Amino acid sequence: MQTVATDVLVIGGGATGVGCLRDLAIRGMRAILVEKGDLTHGTTGRYHGLLHSGGRYVVKDPQSATECARENAILRRIMPHCLEDSGGFFVTTPWDDPDYADRFLAACHATGVAAQEIPVAEALYREPALNPRLSRVIEVADGAADSFLAAHANVASAREYGASALTYHHVVELLHVDDRVVGALVEDLRSGELKRIEAAWTINAAGAWAGRVAALAGVTVTVTAGKGTMVAMNHRMVNTVINRCKMPSDGDIIVPIRTVAVIGTTDTPVPNPDVYAIEPEEITFMLEEGAKLIPGFASYRALRAWAGVRPLYQEEPRLADGLRDAENRDISRAYKLLDHERRDGVSGLISIVGGKWTTYRLMAQETVDRVAQRLGNNRPCRTHAEMLPPPADEKPPTGGDASRFFWLGKPLADVERAADYGDLICECELVTREQVQAAIDGGAANLDDIRRDVRVGMGPCQGGWCIYRTTALLFERIANAHDGDATRFAAAIRNSNAALLHFLQERWKGVQPVLWGDQLRQARLDELIYVGVLGVQRLGDLAESGDAVVTDHPAIATERLE
Amino acid sequence: MTAYDTIVIGAGLAGLIAALRHAEQGQRVLLLAKGYGTTHWTAGCIDVLDAPETGDDPSAAIEALTVCHPTHPYASAGLANLVAALDRLRALCEAANYPLVGDLRRNVRLPTAVGALRPTCLLPAVMAAGDARQLPRAGSVHGTLVAGFRELRDFFPPLLAANLAVQGYAAQGAYLELPPTGRKRDFTSLTLARLFDQPEFRAHVGRQLRRLVKQNGYSHIALPAVLGLEHAPEVVRDLQAAAGALVFEVPTLPPSVPGIRLLRVLERAVIQAGGRLQIGAFVTQAKGRDGRLESVSTAAAARQQRHHAERFVLATGGIAGGGLRAEPSGELRETALGLPVRAPEHRAAWFSPRVFDGAGHPAFRAGVAVDRRFRPLDLADGVAYTNVVVIGAALAGVDPVREACLEGLALATAWAASDIG
Repeated sequence: MQTVATDVLVIGGGATGVGCLRDLAIRGMRAILVEKGDLTHGTTGRYHGLLHSGGRYVVKDPQSATECARENAILRRIMPHCLEDSGGFFVTTPWDDPDYADRFLAACHATGVAAQEIPVAEALYREPALNPRLSRVIEVADGAADSFLAAHANVASAREYGASALTYHHVVELLHVDDRVVGALVEDLRSGELKRIEAAWTINAAGAWAGRVAALAGVTVTVTAGKGTMVAMNHRMVNTVINRCKMPSDGDIIVPIRTVAVIGTTDTPVPNPDVYAIEPEEITFMLEEGAKLIPGFASYRALRAWAGVRPLYQEEPRLADGLRDAENRDISRAYKLLDHERRDGVSGLISIVGGKWTTYRLMAQETVDRVAQRLGNNRPCRTHAEMLPPPADEKPPTGGDASRFFWLGKPLADVERAADYGDLICECELVTREQVQAAIDGGAANLDDIRRDVRVGMGPCQGGWCIYRTTALLFERIANAHDGDATRFAAAIRNSNAALLHFLQERWKGVQPVLWGDQLRQARLDELIYVGVLGVQRLGDLAESGDAVVTDHPAIATERLE
Repeated sequence: MTAYDTIVIGAGLAGLIAALRHAEQGQRVLLLAKGYGTTHWTAGCIDVLDAPETGDDPSAAIEALTVCHPTHPYASAGLANLVAALDRLRALCEAANYPLVGDLRRNVRLPTAVGALRPTCLLPAVMAAGDARQLPRAGSVHGTLVAGFRELRDFFPPLLAANLAVQGYAAQGAYLELPPTGRKRDFTSLTLARLFDQPEFRAHVGRQLRRLVKQNGYSHIALPAVLGLEHAPEVVRDLQAAAGALVFEVPTLPPSVPGIRLLRVLERAVIQAGGRLQIGAFVTQAKGRDGRLESVSTAAAARQQRHHAERFVLATGGIAGGGLRAEPSGELRETALGLPVRAPEHRAAWFSPRVFDGAGHPAFRAGVAVDRRFRPLDLADGVAYTNVVVIGAALAGVDPVREACLEGLALATAWAASDIG
């Protein structure tokens, strides 16, 4: 068995985990991150993409609001290429308490969240699709974040400082010496090999799955998985983030991000973060709520629905099924650092739980502060000061400072500049062959990983064309790597078939809740292509995951309740 | 105001064959369609029925189906009408110098662009050498070359060849160099098809194929189905002569060049027979009286246009074709005439959780119910209009994609419904 030694082992490849990895590496500690799936496989890859101004929490959770406001400013500085500077409105609709806006403004002032009331006419001029019957509009510094890109940027930066990140590595057990956690035994899901990672400290950053990791050390961490359902619409009917000006609740936010607008969310406790269903009533409810902000919202084309599980931390264990929705939303969005030596008498392990994407860097900073102190490392945190590296294929900005941020027209501008039209693999999201190949070379283990990396299959056709093409590119890449080895070459095609069938099944889960109108027609066209023209359902016996392709390992299964 | 004998709504295979049949019977025929049908998306073959249980014999499978599923549209249409329609289509294609081959008693399996083998009944002669039974198996002295162009993103030779290889065939993939075209970017299947219609372009490709055949002794060459829009048989003949091996087309992702060829053959035939085609005419309203449909209206630039006829043929297709449309509420509508649709009662029962569930998804079996004469039924099983027939994928009780019968269903029901009138 392979054994590696490191200073710190980070468990979890979401925003918090990659943030910790980078922070550790910059401070000169040796660090290894393990993630059971792809980077952002968990909640980070399943949220609406809001960069919080803090506005959502000013009344209910002032501490979170202040943290969000500060981190928002830092992230704009260190990762502009991952962010869209869309700005945000909090709007009072005829269904909302008109006095809440005053309370909201006062709370913004108290928490340091920049907010300014603007005339309704101005808001309607800037966003003509908004409900004309709004009574008040308050502008804040919300934005949209590409959480996939940000995670990759954090890892790329950490690697520059010598750290490593192992995706598709599942923690089988934590290693113990007496009451001390000294690393973990992990399984490489690609090869099935076990590896021993010895570490002076282990950071549990597994989010909604943190309780499971803690249990391996015999300690109890109760994380309530709060399911949030979202729907992506095939249209940016607004270019500003729109929030209802009221206490946060279901279906009260629309985030324009990349080519879509996402409406979110619901909040329902689920007993198991891997097992949940998307209920038709949730979709109906959100489309109805969306129509209060944007008249006719439900008649736009819905592309897909998905859910993420918020990692909501509770100090006292409570039975999840005894929780009501309202109570769930009242659990603080703040994060909590659990030093298990003080708390449970188990040393060498620290858990970071709760929190939200916008504050991931701060959470990492505090976690790493604690670990650094224990390891006698007194170098200060620098993650707020150093820019995150843009991707290798990133084209330099064309305009002034503003274009450091991502903007809607950027992918097209890049394609036009390079005259890459003939190399577009995904026309919906303007993804080029070069980008798909880079994602494959970057360690994508299936087509869903490539989707997360470069957005193939995320547009209106939901992979109708690009997924056939991406499968072929994946095959060509793996096959070329094994040129001359006949057995592995034969395995490469079986692996590629498995990746194709896996993607189509995963996509089906996402589109099924929103199949009506044009999107149902699209699904039928996609069926005509994949079943009728290509006959992929006949490849079942020729499909097998393995080697570089992972599709069906129980550790990453995401079977939903039907 | 011109009154027609028959108005056909829909320009897919079903609508075109129906229009042709009526026009050839001497009727005044108008065909109205919002756009073209699913012919631009399909493989361009005539799928009659996947028939694994009858030893790949679709005619036997249809006879079995007539007994076991008497409500299946094939049961109402009857095998004889299918045979007649196929004969007529063959003759048309033959006359248009685009021959079809195949036999109703035996499906052929053809490689797809991923290298799966899909069954079909009649196929254009330019695909005939792809018959899986004839392709060289592993270990034989010959082999199949799968060739394409990097510039065409809807056909990937290595993937296709590798899947043939794991199924025991001798196959290798290769990319060809694109002959000089003066065009630099964005090649679709149609762009290439137009280029292949030019002799010098295919001569250039032929020389490359020749070289590869000489080096590796291939007996068969699979190419994307882009070998000419107008002169496909000639293109294939030239390439075969140049390469010294059998050449066959494999359907690409849409747009489907073979589908468009078929459509053109039929479109020309309808016009030649005196039929009138109005494409871009979306039927928005229907007016009936005493159980008879009197007229339909189409949306036009400045006004609605009303069209009267004695008889109407609805061939607007299913969900893909646009003949059926689902509301968010979970209601399926027939889009042209507003006929009642038979569908699972609740949206919850529309889909199976597994995308490739062998039985398909119940929503895709939804459609308009008809009597034995293809007249639409209302929800009380009474005839909704006595002078309307419904044909093709708009019909209830069949999933033409999963059953691999899209074209056969269109032809058989179109023929049967025109006879009864």
